[in-house]
Amino acid sequence: MTATTTLPWKPPRSLRQRMDVATLLFLGDSLAGVPFALGLAMAVHFLLQREWVGVLAGAVLVAVSGPLRAVLQWAAATAGVRAAAAAKAEARARLYPRLLATGWTAGRLAGEEAATAVADVEMLEGLAARYRPLRTAAVIAPLIVAAAVALASPVSALILLATLLPFGLGMALAGTAARAAAERQLAGAALLTGLFVDRVRALPMILHFDAAERVARQLESSTRTLAERTLATLRIAFVSGGVIEFFAALSVAMVAVYCGFQLLGILPFRVPEQLSLAEAFFALALAGEFYLPIRRLAAAYHDRQLGEAAEAAIAARLEAPALASPPPAPPGPFPGLLADGLEVEPAPGRRIGPVSLRVPAAGLVALTGPTGSGKSSLLLALAGLLPPAAGRLALGEAPWPEGGLLGRAAWAGQAVQLFPGTLLENIAAARPDASPAEVRAAAAAAGLGPLLAARGESLAIDARGSGLSGGERRRIGLARALLADRPILLLDEPTADLDPEAAAAVIARLKAEAGRRAVVVATHDPALVAVADAEVQLP
Amino acid sequence: MTPARAPGARVAALLAVRARRERLAMRVAVAAAVVGTLSAVGLAGLSGWFLAGAGLAAAAGAALLFNYLLPSALIRQAAIFRTGARYVERLLAHRAALLALAGLRADLFRALAERPPPEALRLSGGEAASRLVEDVDALENLLVRRPAGPAAVAGGAVAVALAGLAAPLAGLGVAALLLGLVPAAQAMRARLLDPAAAEAQAALAALKAAVVGAVEAAAEIRLMGLEARTADALATEAAALDAARLRFVRAEAAIAALVTLGAALAAALVLALAPGADVALAAGAALAAHAAIEAQAGLVRAATERARVTAGLARLDGLVEAGTPEAPAQQEAPPAAPLVFRRRGREVRLEAGGRLLLDGPSGAGKTRLLHALAGLAEPDVAASGIAISLGGVPLAALPPRLLARAFALAPQAPTLIAGSIADNLALARPGLAEAEMWQALHVAGLDAVVRARAEGLAALLGDGGRGLSGGEAKRLALARALLAGRPWLLLDEPTEGLDPATEALVVDRLDRWLEETGTGLVLVSHRRPPRVLARGTVLRLSDVPDASARRGSVLPA
Repeated sequence: MTATTTLPWKPPRSLRQRMDVATLLFLGDSLAGVPFALGLAMAVHFLLQREWVGVLAGAVLVAVSGPLRAVLQWAAATAGVRAAAAAKAEARARLYPRLLATGWTAGRLAGEEAATAVADVEMLEGLAARYRPLRTAAVIAPLIVAAAVALASPVSALILLATLLPFGLGMALAGTAARAAAERQLAGAALLTGLFVDRVRALPMILHFDAAERVARQLESSTRTLAERTLATLRIAFVSGGVIEFFAALSVAMVAVYCGFQLLGILPFRVPEQLSLAEAFFALALAGEFYLPIRRLAAAYHDRQLGEAAEAAIAARLEAPALASPPPAPPGPFPGLLADGLEVEPAPGRRIGPVSLRVPAAGLVALTGPTGSGKSSLLLALAGLLPPAAGRLALGEAPWPEGGLLGRAAWAGQAVQLFPGTLLENIAAARPDASPAEVRAAAAAAGLGPLLAARGESLAIDARGSGLSGGERRRIGLARALLADRPILLLDEPTADLDPEAAAAVIARLKAEAGRRAVVVATHDPALVAVADAEVQLP
Repeated sequence: MTPARAPGARVAALLAVRARRERLAMRVAVAAAVVGTLSAVGLAGLSGWFLAGAGLAAAAGAALLFNYLLPSALIRQAAIFRTGARYVERLLAHRAALLALAGLRADLFRALAERPPPEALRLSGGEAASRLVEDVDALENLLVRRPAGPAAVAGGAVAVALAGLAAPLAGLGVAALLLGLVPAAQAMRARLLDPAAAEAQAALAALKAAVVGAVEAAAEIRLMGLEARTADALATEAAALDAARLRFVRAEAAIAALVTLGAALAAALVLALAPGADVALAAGAALAAHAAIEAQAGLVRAATERARVTAGLARLDGLVEAGTPEAPAQQEAPPAAPLVFRRRGREVRLEAGGRLLLDGPSGAGKTRLLHALAGLAEPDVAASGIAISLGGVPLAALPPRLLARAFALAPQAPTLIAGSIADNLALARPGLAEAEMWQALHVAGLDAVVRARAEGLAALLGDGGRGLSGGEAKRLALARALLAGRPWLLLDEPTEGLDPATEALVVDRLDRWLEETGTGLVLVSHRRPPRVLARGTVLRLSDVPDASARRGSVLPA
């Protein structure tokens, strides 16, 4: 598989368009400040003229701007989440296959890793739904507001635009430091909660050593130290918020003072405009809108931090070298296999083998050995899912194919993937073209007959297999393997979780299967080992 | 304890104690928030009043009589105050919240540790621990937002007063809007936000479970050609999550839009009811009312988060609940010997310094037996068929803390803590000297590894001991158990993950250490070399007990 260097989702065109909808709606919200300002100016103008109908009309315009903006804001949030859903779907589509490809090597760690990856994808939401649309809006919206202000008072518009210069300088100065501080703060917060949860998780051993009070005291002092350190970074991190706040307030104040002095005609300098009270009010009411998009963007800063960190984590997962996973070989016959000095490395530093073994075209081979000796890993290597680290493998007389036994081997392992649907549909997933009679036969062969008899053929199961015992899940996996009708069966602990009678039935069945195809089992079960044609013991 | 308490009351009381220590910072934060909001409302009101006043004066031809200096200075002041006050508020509210919560975390940890061990251990497991963190974080948010309440009230009061001055009816109208806002937000929260939040949380958990399940079954999926169906199944779960998130964000946006709506309505109301009033006052009051309602946003958000905090408090209360306080662990010395195992008439009796190998297939309950000795699991005679006594007292009659003084466990999963290597070793016993630590590391065959690190004993490990290999982590846990100085050592697969040479070294040193210190040993190991430590005394657990015996193990096996 070629390593990809692009980020998990550089938004494709369709996605960009959706994000643009959110941006446009945010811009529309800024624009909807105009009827508000207009209404206000009208009302004040007519108040002065004592024309009550005009006042009322202005008040109505002001009132109408409320629902208009409320709807636009709501629609912007909706459009943002829809864009985010598309972004997340795309990230998942690329990430999940990679996660699955780690499943057979990393074991329990892979599960935790997968849960983290799922959570990371969710963190993209704030980035795609809020931060990115707001970032575009924050650039354009102030210009729209300034243009609207200019309709009434070009000088006020200039004043607003002029504040952008020191604002930009302030942000450049405070922003860089603040950004670094905000990142340290995020890391500090993670440390704070991390330390707590670490101690809570270690509680069994802490209790065992009667160290609870000592640990509590240490926890308090170290979380306090961490809190103090976080506060030191907050002092800087909040400065950029302060800069935005300051210029937002200052721009309103400057427009107010300018317009007031203009109306009074006491400006110490000449300006090429003469404002009416209505124009002045219009400019004042819109002045507050000028920095609003930038303040909203600042409020989405946390979304950005989390989202970009998640993006980087996802990209790293996608870039990590994946195990070679060649396409399955065309289903072919199984002439038997020979492994000579085979070694596998399921995890860095963990070597299994060397093992030499021969699996004939038909017969039952048992891999045995203590827990952790690598039986399952060896089975995976035979299946072609783990590359041999050393040694030689041959398929009959032919060299070992690139995809191992992919397409030739049927597998039933410790974990069984279940789908929402009936029990029989779940079994049929292994061979969709199987007839109902074949599916029923496979179910019966795997010992699921009594369950079907008791609960009916339409027995529905959910993705979690609620209501199924561990043994019943295994039997579903076994039924699939039998149904798939492939020349070799690779089975990991086929009799675990089964009571002795059930295990005996499964063993008899496997022995019968071994008469016409190869069956390789990894097992602890002495009864199963007893009927095997060959036993391969791992140290 | 009285049962008739509000849920969450105990944690709320703990939090109140911690928050009181930071009350100065919080008070200043509240004052700053009030000043900030008053400045914002004042800036809006003053600007409107000033402009309209100037317009009036100009229209009357009395421009030069209008006092423009004071209002324009005030406007500039308000702009500066608003910024400064907001900064101070944020900083000090965070200060109070972070420090109070640092203390509360320690309180919660103590409370958790004081529960009877099996319960404490259940509450410390994976999901429960994450939940705990979320709940504590929610409390932190609550404290950070605390100043928003008084500030919103102050801002609202000024706006109502201004509107009332302009026209009494307008004052009433603005007051009604302000008073209606928070209950309306709360109603929407209950109807829209909370159900969506619960749904999204459940959908996320379901998606995680589905992905983790698929990863575990990856071999089957690949070999049996189930990729497409699995992708479909996962996409369905993901779509359910996205739909729930959409509902949640929409509800959140609807509540936020409520403030926008209210702000415009308030301004319109003042203007519509103003005829006959002082024009400048009416204009100022309209802008002030608009700003005051916008200042309610913080309060509305706090109100919508309230439910989360309340639920969190109730859950945390479950931790703090006094329950049955464990018998006080007096200074009473634990009985140390003999350690007797009885099984179907057979008896294995170990005097002080005796050694035993627990043998049997996987799942026979060996690890659980060690955990029962360590006081981390209930001894279950029925399931294992083994009755254990220490110094003539049945195990079940010995409180876990007393057991902990008799046994030192090096578990199968090392369970290390984030911190230095010395921090990890120091868990074993207070007042350990460095020389003792090195000695224990030497026996565990880890001294060379630690010496090779520049920081030595001060070398830092990540969460759960990240930074050590599996074998190194096991040996560190072994060294920790040696340092506890208990009469009995419990070892669960002590040499798993070690290469043969290191394994031989560790077994040899352990043997001598046990001999020299006269410490007894109960060992579980599948591997041959360490089994010699037991010197042939073996207790075999042959039958796999029923499923109930496998439940309640507290450390990952």
